[in-house]
Amino acid sequence: MNAIMQNKHIFKDKVVLDVGCGTGILSMFAAKAGAKHVIGVDMSTIIFKAREIVKVNGLEDKITLIQGKMEEIEMPYPKVDIIISEWMGYFLLYESMLDTVLYARDRYLNKDGLIFPDKATIFVAGIEDGDYKEEKIGFWDNVYGFDYTPLKETALSEPLVDTVEMKAVVTDPTPVLTLDLYKVQPSDLAFSCPFDLTARRDDFIHALVAWFDIEFTACHKPIRFSTGPHTKYTHWKQTVFYLKDVLTVQQGEKVECSLHNRPNEKNRRDLDIKIQYRLDTQDPNRQAEGTCLYKMC
Amino acid sequence: MAEAYPCSDSESVSSSDNDQDWLNKPGEEDEDEEQEQVTVVSFFDDKGFSDAKSMLAYCKDKFDFDFLGVRDRLHLDFHGCVKLINFIRRGVKEGTALPQEITAEHLADDSLLIPVLADDALIFCLDELPERTSGQAQEKGQAAEVQNSASGGGPVVDELLQKNAQLQAELEQLAKQFTNYRLAVEQTLDKRWGVDDEGEACKTAAPVAPAEQQKKKEEEKDESAYYFESYAHTDIHETMIKDTVRTNAYRDFIYANKHLFEGKVVLDIGCGTGILSMFCARAGAARVLAVDNSAILDKARENVFRNGLDRVITCVRGRIEDVTLPVDKVDVIVSEWMGYCLLYEAMLPSVFFARDKYLKPDGLLVPSHASMWIAPVSDAEYVAENVDWWRDVYGFDMRAMQAGIYTDARMTVMPTDAVCGEAHAFRMLDLHTAKVADLVFEDSWQTTLSDKVEGLDGFLVWFDCFFGESREEAVEANLTAKEWVAAGRERVAFTTGPYDTATHWRQGLYLIDKEKAKDIEVGPGKKLVGNIRYAIPEDHARGLNITIAWALEGGDSQVQTWLLH
Repeated sequence: MNAIMQNKHIFKDKVVLDVGCGTGILSMFAAKAGAKHVIGVDMSTIIFKAREIVKVNGLEDKITLIQGKMEEIEMPYPKVDIIISEWMGYFLLYESMLDTVLYARDRYLNKDGLIFPDKATIFVAGIEDGDYKEEKIGFWDNVYGFDYTPLKETALSEPLVDTVEMKAVVTDPTPVLTLDLYKVQPSDLAFSCPFDLTARRDDFIHALVAWFDIEFTACHKPIRFSTGPHTKYTHWKQTVFYLKDVLTVQQGEKVECSLHNRPNEKNRRDLDIKIQYRLDTQDPNRQAEGTCLYKMC
Repeated sequence: MAEAYPCSDSESVSSSDNDQDWLNKPGEEDEDEEQEQVTVVSFFDDKGFSDAKSMLAYCKDKFDFDFLGVRDRLHLDFHGCVKLINFIRRGVKEGTALPQEITAEHLADDSLLIPVLADDALIFCLDELPERTSGQAQEKGQAAEVQNSASGGGPVVDELLQKNAQLQAELEQLAKQFTNYRLAVEQTLDKRWGVDDEGEACKTAAPVAPAEQQKKKEEEKDESAYYFESYAHTDIHETMIKDTVRTNAYRDFIYANKHLFEGKVVLDIGCGTGILSMFCARAGAARVLAVDNSAILDKARENVFRNGLDRVITCVRGRIEDVTLPVDKVDVIVSEWMGYCLLYEAMLPSVFFARDKYLKPDGLLVPSHASMWIAPVSDAEYVAENVDWWRDVYGFDMRAMQAGIYTDARMTVMPTDAVCGEAHAFRMLDLHTAKVADLVFEDSWQTTLSDKVEGLDGFLVWFDCFFGESREEAVEANLTAKEWVAAGRERVAFTTGPYDTATHWRQGLYLIDKEKAKDIEVGPGKKLVGNIRYAIPEDHARGLNITIAWALEGGDSQVQTWLLH
């Protein structure tokens, strides 16, 4: 909202495309910011509600709402000056509309057009999360006296979207993916990234947590927000990947990791994620190495 | 075991560390699912057919081989047919001539159950072939024959008999596994073709236009498939098991009443992860049949195995209406069938079906009774946060988003003090005797408003559940779970209402549309009367339409309908 309302000079008299407009709130911000015209596109029937809302707010002359797939609709303008979109999903990429935004960029955005937001970064850190891991994963070891370990495997493979407290974070955060919306291609969303996590203190690592930051660099004064554990709650929360092992780390030690992500073959909005980790120490009792596969679906 | 167990749920991740899985090329793993057309390959050449009947007709015509004739002559059951198919396929593959007359001996070898052609469509299509007489008589006949010929002998015969018994047990095991396999195959095919018990539907559907009929069926099918699919994931089962009000009630009842389960045959309908079946097995049940039509059954089977209860519990995948159970009657039916507002998701008719078909006349249903409650609600804060909020969203009027608020039931846990009048039990179901027709009804209710009433914002609906120890045990209609438990020794019952620990069922909140409804002057001590109707929406067989009428005693009645979907 701030990115739009504080940058009226950028929006003034521009043609704006809102990809996945939902209830139309971003379109209305853009219209209020002085846009010449806003086109809101959404596949969902929510568009009918959006139309009603735009009308009761007296903006129906400024905003055209179109139901359909970005790839199939007919646009009233051949090119637009600005694309706005709230396309981010959990773990940035899960169920994300990024593919659609990129399609709209390639087809409709003017050569020197702007994208709001235009930069996204995924961060990863190690966390101590013994109690909750016990509740979510260990639970299946003994269910009312029964061995339920078959469901434990499934539980381990499903990343958990939840809030993580800052004090649970054991390592320095490390970026694993940075997207420049002007340049990124759909194929870049399958990526592999090796990275190290450096322990800030002596502690256990039960899981890795991932979150993302979003930037609007086109703004007069760049605006950014984070969905990390260190900042205000967002509906994206954070994404927790439980490891099979519990790592015991000492301050300053590095855990060598790698993260591989690719959209699922059958449903590009689902993600297949692989995390490898290795703790190499002199202490043979703390040596650990493993590979975990996850599926966000 | 993890590798061997059939993972039909293609969505789930292989949790093995196998990097091969990870590296699979695009499309490699979903070939099966993508393939919509089925080809039945001829026995004697490479010709393919779209269904089994025309293939068999072709073989009869061209090669003078009458599959159905052989089947009927030998009284082959499903497994017999599979063996016959594989016997022929194997012969053709190895180039050996078929015997002049195929006899039962030719098909004795169990290895013939292994398909010769991978994914042999003919085996999948066996059920489409014209009916014949029951194969069970034949099996019994064979067994008797062996008994007879053996009855004259000494120790050798004993040994043979022993061996025979052992083999029979193995065969039974195999047959069981095959039943499951067959069900899985049937479901896959049903999914692929969107066809379900076609014959039966056609018989009753004469007046309806065929296209419309087909469409309706597909919709039903879709809804049903979606329903069972929704139970395939772990989190829903985690939610249910961790609902301790629910799970403890079943556990406490089963463990405190072992005499009701010892040596008994128990049927668990919609077994999920198998927890209730395992309670019953631990309580001493002789045999538990755990039935579920969701992919979670694979996990149940594994759970049962890991807990060493696989000799007692048999997991069967399928709809209870369709599966073939290995017993005629059961002593106990245990099921956790309750949905939101008790009847949402419409699983109870399946329990009634099973009760009428399988439960012995003196058999027990667990739980035995369920009652439904309604109470008036007054909660200005809730209305402000959930309804009025849309009036000003970042400075915009978004009232359009409110629409569903007054037409859909909202499942929520309401604070006790939101209830502004005494609760009224509008219906008690004795599950031993209730019928499907009892699930669509209109009942009256009344309440006296309390001093909590500020205005009337809506109504709250919930249910209580009772675990009687015998069919004869009655539960008085207006007794709460708590009162009933207090009135007897070691009784088990629970409530999903606002006066006790919240459950995953929450409560159903029905908000009054104040723009349409007339304001009535409520106040402490005033009497509110009305009706509540449960009906099934035409286009959503597992949903509910709930209509509530209300009025101050002696005043004008108002009415509103909500959908639970």
